Amino acid sequence: MPGSQHHDPFEERLAAALRDAGDGFDADPAALTAGGRVRGRRAQLLRRTAVLGGAAGIALVGVGGALLVPGGDSLGPDRSSAAAKPAASASATAAASFSGDDLLRTLKGLLPDGEFSQEAANGTRGDTPPFAHVVYDDGEGAAAIGVGFGRLEAGSREVREVTTCPDRALVEYDDCTSGRLPDGSLLMLYRGYEYPDRREDTKRWSAELVTADGQHVSLSEWNAAAEKGAPVSRAEPPLSLEELKRIVTAGAWRRVVDAMPEDRRPPATGAPDAPPPGAAGESIGAPLAGLLPKGLTVVDRGGQETEYAYLVIDDGKGRSLVQVNVQPDMSDVADQLYGEAETLPDGTLVATREGPGEKGGEGVLMWTADTMRPDGFRVVISAFNTGAQHQDATRATPALTVDRLKEIALSGKWEGLR
Amino acid sequence: MRQGRADEYAEFAAARAGHLYRSACLLTAGDTHLAEDLVQETFGRLYVRWGRVSRVGNPAGYAQTVLTRAFLAHQRRRSSRERATDVFPDLPGAADGDASLRLTLMAALARLPAKDRAVVVLRYWEDRSVEETADVLNVSSAAVRTRCVRALGRLRELLGEDLAAYSRP
Repeated sequence: MPGSQHHDPFEERLAAALRDAGDGFDADPAALTAGGRVRGRRAQLLRRTAVLGGAAGIALVGVGGALLVPGGDSLGPDRSSAAAKPAASASATAAASFSGDDLLRTLKGLLPDGEFSQEAANGTRGDTPPFAHVVYDDGEGAAAIGVGFGRLEAGSREVREVTTCPDRALVEYDDCTSGRLPDGSLLMLYRGYEYPDRREDTKRWSAELVTADGQHVSLSEWNAAAEKGAPVSRAEPPLSLEELKRIVTAGAWRRVVDAMPEDRRPPATGAPDAPPPGAAGESIGAPLAGLLPKGLTVVDRGGQETEYAYLVIDDGKGRSLVQVNVQPDMSDVADQLYGEAETLPDGTLVATREGPGEKGGEGVLMWTADTMRPDGFRVVISAFNTGAQHQDATRATPALTVDRLKEIALSGKWEGLR
Repeated sequence: MRQGRADEYAEFAAARAGHLYRSACLLTAGDTHLAEDLVQETFGRLYVRWGRVSRVGNPAGYAQTVLTRAFLAHQRRRSSRERATDVFPDLPGAADGDASLRLTLMAALARLPAKDRAVVVLRYWEDRSVEETADVLNVSSAAVRTRCVRALGRLRELLGEDLAAYSRP
């Protein structure tokens, strides 16, 4: 079978070489299947748990997807017993773990005085994301309140889904506001119904907070003792929007998210994602090279994947890495990317940044021009004062000025890549 | 999941884990940690929808599709953050021993764009047809052919025409 359809001898040889190379990778099937089962079960459990309710609950499926192994609960010391040392598997920013009781205590401490019952919670060490749930009665009637946590990739589609008010054409609700807080967090405050079709009048009010670092806190309350299946106990949920905001933005919750097990990468949910269209890296490199000022030498080039290409140029003063991303249909994130951008007469947004590099090279500067045409077509160019971001700076400044980067990014030559 | 179905899933996963992992290693050009992660992600998704998957008739093919798309989604997320280029490993010269041959081949694969690499893996490791490859990647057959020609050209350039050193006689 293998190789039978290939007529070119090189193809035959490549197929044989891949077989040999592939066979050299030894798998641990038990670990792989166990890991897969844990992830699958977590996704199912989350769907069932639905503590968060509605769209937020769905968005959280798969969130915080660390590489969990069965029995992982025993990893990491308790906060109480290890106040001074970080959890075993945590990154530099992660705190020690929080138990379910810790979360309940924090939630009850943030709520106004009242009676609590039906408490339930998961700490940060379980194989489902943490949450806390109580039934709270301020004297006006029992109300379910739940808070859940996740970690999202900053600027990602998931962040937008979680913090964008639903389309009124699809969901009926009373009011919803979404905006950015002074610390860069996105906050959505929502007043709607547990059942979008209003077959029962259970109200669900919620606050969705995603910080600039991607920490997601979801707080919901109902005017019933349970989100589903309990009679309405009061006219409205107990907490006002101001109170929801105060509680969801409490600093304690961010530490809870930080204590969740690290994921190597952001989660992907749902059906296999069809790869979106995008310009191939190689087709991006060509216009970039053509737009450089005269007198520069291109000493290396590449484009590892779609929508991305880079050149390493030298103007006689040392190597300078120049990279470009070309991305169609990015208008849905325009407000996040171009908060303080200049708007050109034709509606194109232009933001420039001069900052440190992101990959740890000593003294590396990264200058960027980030542009988006009115239809969402985005061209971002960055230049560095080094030939590779991981390496230390090799020159005082990047070989291209920010103005030059802007000029290149705004060139009509990119139009061919749409 | 009902017991019968759970058994069926467990049997399938155990039988396919090795092959999927090897595919993932080729897709990731030898990043075994990412490969493990992608395989677990694939099994996680299969677990959730096993009832439907098991009825489609070719769960192995479905799993490969999920894996390939998970890989491309991962690459795309990375690219959308203006990630600077990773430092490419140098191509070691063809030396004695399977291990270094494998490294050389992986280093060459690493220099292909992710979609081109996926085309190479599907066509020459999975032995899928152009049309099947196009289905998995959600692109046209013509696009698969173009990528394939380009990838082969690049690999020829990097590895040499005869490739004899990279496979056992």
